[in-house]
Amino acid sequence: MPIKLKSILGLSFLLIGGCSQLHHVHIGDIDQSQGTLTPFTIQVNELGFDLAKTAEIGAEVAKSSSTSEDLELVAFILAISNFGPKTGNPVYNDAYADKVLAEVIKVCPSKKLTGLTSVREATNVGPASGEVVRINGYCINNNQTNNI
Amino acid sequence: MLKNTLLFSLLALSLTGCVGLNTVSMTQVPAQRDNVITTSSASWNFIGINFSNAFVDEAVDKLKGQCPTGKIEGVYTKHQTTGYVLMFKREVIVSAYCNEV
Repeated sequence: MPIKLKSILGLSFLLIGGCSQLHHVHIGDIDQSQGTLTPFTIQVNELGFDLAKTAEIGAEVAKSSSTSEDLELVAFILAISNFGPKTGNPVYNDAYADKVLAEVIKVCPSKKLTGLTSVREATNVGPASGEVVRINGYCINNNQTNNI
Repeated sequence: MLKNTLLFSLLALSLTGCVGLNTVSMTQVPAQRDNVITTSSASWNFIGINFSNAFVDEAVDKLKGQCPTGKIEGVYTKHQTTGYVLMFKREVIVSAYCNEV
């Protein structure tokens, strides 16, 4: 297969490959007995980056064979350095999800929450990804309107 | 030779596990456990390419619909992926108790 066609095909798979990933779902108790419910969504995300994959891609598209071999070695070293259990791509900030609690409390003026669904998901574009934590839930209105 | 290869492939396929359990979670179980409600929602994809995880929200809506004026408690959520040939089914299976107040 010609190199150009191979590169185009590779790039296409890279861009569409596994765009949306679902890692974890937790559905909480839902109380519909105290009044009407108003839905809300809180979402935080952080840039995830797979450096080993980037080096692998570099090795594939490198013109000289020596550069390609060097990049393959770099990819291998990066891959074994980050070997182990993980969810999604590594991120550069381990506290990006900590603000969800404050955000969830802020969103309900009635302070009554129910039906919290926690979702850990990711949107991938090649070696980069958006590592997302999403909280869906409901404010219990108690016959008063919440402005969200 | 080809016949043997095909037979061996079919045997290997039949022995392959095809379900992956992704996550399981459970909330506080109530004392009153008479009315069990269950629901599930799924999303199919080809070789793992997905564009949305909205099927999770569908499961929550279906669950709410089964207990419109009560409390849904003891929610057991299972997220699993079943692999078929080149096709994958992502699924959220939920069971809970509906208690009228």
